[in-house]
Amino acid sequence: MIAQISPPELDFLPVAPELVLAGGGMAIMLAEAALPRVTSRVLLIASLLIVAGAAGITVALWGWDGEPTVLAGMVATDRFAVLIRGVLLAVAAIGAVYGHHQFDRAGERRPEFFPLLLFATTGMTLIAAASDLILTFLALEILSLSLYVLAGFSRRVTASEASMKYFLLGAFSSAFFLYGVALAYGATGTTSIGGIARALSGPSEGLPLAMVAAALLAVGFSFKVAAVPFHMWTPDVYQGAPTAVVGFMSAATKVAAFAALIRVFNVAFLPLSWDWTPIVGVLAAVTMVVGSLLAIAQTDVKRMLAYSSIAHAGFILTGVMAANQEGIASATFYLVAYALMIVGAFGVVLLVSGDERTSLSSYAGLAVRSPLLAALLSLFLLSLAGIPPTAGFMAKVSVFRAAVDAGHTWVVIVAVLASVVAAFFYLRVIVLVYMKEPEEELQPDRSPLPALTVAVPAVATLVLGVFPGLVFGLLETASIFRW
Amino acid sequence: MSSQEIVFVVLGIVGLGAAVRLVTARNVVHAALYLVVSLAMVGGTYLVLAAEFVAFVQVLIYVGAIVVLLLFSLMLTRAPIGREALDNQQRGISALVALGILAGLAFLIQDAFRDARIEPDATPTGAVGVSIFQNFVLPFELVSVLLLAALIGAVVLARKDLP
Repeated sequence: MIAQISPPELDFLPVAPELVLAGGGMAIMLAEAALPRVTSRVLLIASLLIVAGAAGITVALWGWDGEPTVLAGMVATDRFAVLIRGVLLAVAAIGAVYGHHQFDRAGERRPEFFPLLLFATTGMTLIAAASDLILTFLALEILSLSLYVLAGFSRRVTASEASMKYFLLGAFSSAFFLYGVALAYGATGTTSIGGIARALSGPSEGLPLAMVAAALLAVGFSFKVAAVPFHMWTPDVYQGAPTAVVGFMSAATKVAAFAALIRVFNVAFLPLSWDWTPIVGVLAAVTMVVGSLLAIAQTDVKRMLAYSSIAHAGFILTGVMAANQEGIASATFYLVAYALMIVGAFGVVLLVSGDERTSLSSYAGLAVRSPLLAALLSLFLLSLAGIPPTAGFMAKVSVFRAAVDAGHTWVVIVAVLASVVAAFFYLRVIVLVYMKEPEEELQPDRSPLPALTVAVPAVATLVLGVFPGLVFGLLETASIFRW
Repeated sequence: MSSQEIVFVVLGIVGLGAAVRLVTARNVVHAALYLVVSLAMVGGTYLVLAAEFVAFVQVLIYVGAIVVLLLFSLMLTRAPIGREALDNQQRGISALVALGILAGLAFLIQDAFRDARIEPDATPTGAVGVSIFQNFVLPFELVSVLLLAALIGAVVLARKDLP
């Protein structure tokens, strides 16, 4: 006799965006294998449709009024996850256009780019919603593995070297993270983020163990968000990997990893916030100072942007260390602004440095050859420097205010000094672009599609700089974690 | 000694013998076959502990898949199969590391359980299935996405016929 098996009650709707992304990635892979003549343009359109479908479901999830977590507590359905997913999907769409353009221009056939991009996006959107450390780890691995391969997507030796370096250090950081998960389980008897918070808020024997777990998880996240002293891989990988891939990963990885970091530290380890805020503060201060100082010495635009992205990790950590709702809202706003400006800046680099010649001196006189690209680059650099009326300025103001309100004035003083130092090297590039004579070989790419794509984050950077309320309005509800 | 303990001791001795032969064998195919015996004995130990699902998974995956994969990769690549060059000079250090791990584990297990007697508690396979397909269904499915991404990555990195 066959026993009656009753199917379990599972609500897959809150992970529908991920199902669409992963399923779409597999469909594109199969299509590429079954139809060998399919062009990269068709694959690009298919990828964009898949991302748009996932984005549509994500928007619908904003109004979710069911359980706070589904699938046995694995996935959070709060609006924070929805907002971060939206940002990630936008970056993924831009990254798909970049990748298509770069490989098409070089005459390389890289159909695997799209499935890997979609898998990486699956991991990223899922990590933003993960409310169990097991799921966080798996999502982190999916996004990392896809990015290791994407970073090596070039025939140049530096790309393979970048990929290898990223892989080795990433594997190392995964081990730290996994050990942290194990210790958190040892301290609290659960891997659920909400469960850890409940276990730690009462009297607990596992507090020292939980502190070590928090430290190890912080190390794991610090590798992914490129916080000093775990930033060593960033400049080499950003310089070696194809610019299109760097544009995607610099924005999306940081958003995804920070989303998970914010959730883990502001929910699971919130009862220990007195212990971890000073440590995160030191991490933030060191990251801002080292990132800004080392960026000055760079002569390659991709390395400079890499150090700039390191410095920005420090500014975002400044918001995280406030450990309250204002801190979460400001750090999230910073993530949105940062994603827009860094993906735009790398888009301009993709168009200007066609054959990966990315030395800063080749940007001299860009304004003569292409006033539009020069203007876009200046806008993104001004925003990265945090000069009004750009999103970067509003983002810096909001994290500084959150940190001061939470009583961490010393970090804000360091942050302001670091911003001043950072402004120097951004403005130096703008001076180079506008006030020097152009070099002979500078031939910026004039393709319309990528230029149009770069214009999207440019407009968004300006709009958010003037009307920051557009995102802060969403953040009123999106900065509350439900668990 | 109960019959269970006798079976356990026998399994342990056979597994240990196979493991020792595994590292001392001069022929890599023989070593792989000793690995089969050693892993199968571990699977048998799980059966003695009434964890039949884990035991079958052990046999299916380790004995079935991994060792066969190992033999296939020996067959398909030009790795030296015979008696030549299957040794390096790290014997002393690896023995030291292995003994260190053994001592550490023995101490930890001795320290944690002391004289406690733990009766084998049969977990029905049904409960394992419910756990995987209800509580851990999403991680379970995600692992396959992870493996797929790794597979694509391996193909991308390994192929040389790029235009």
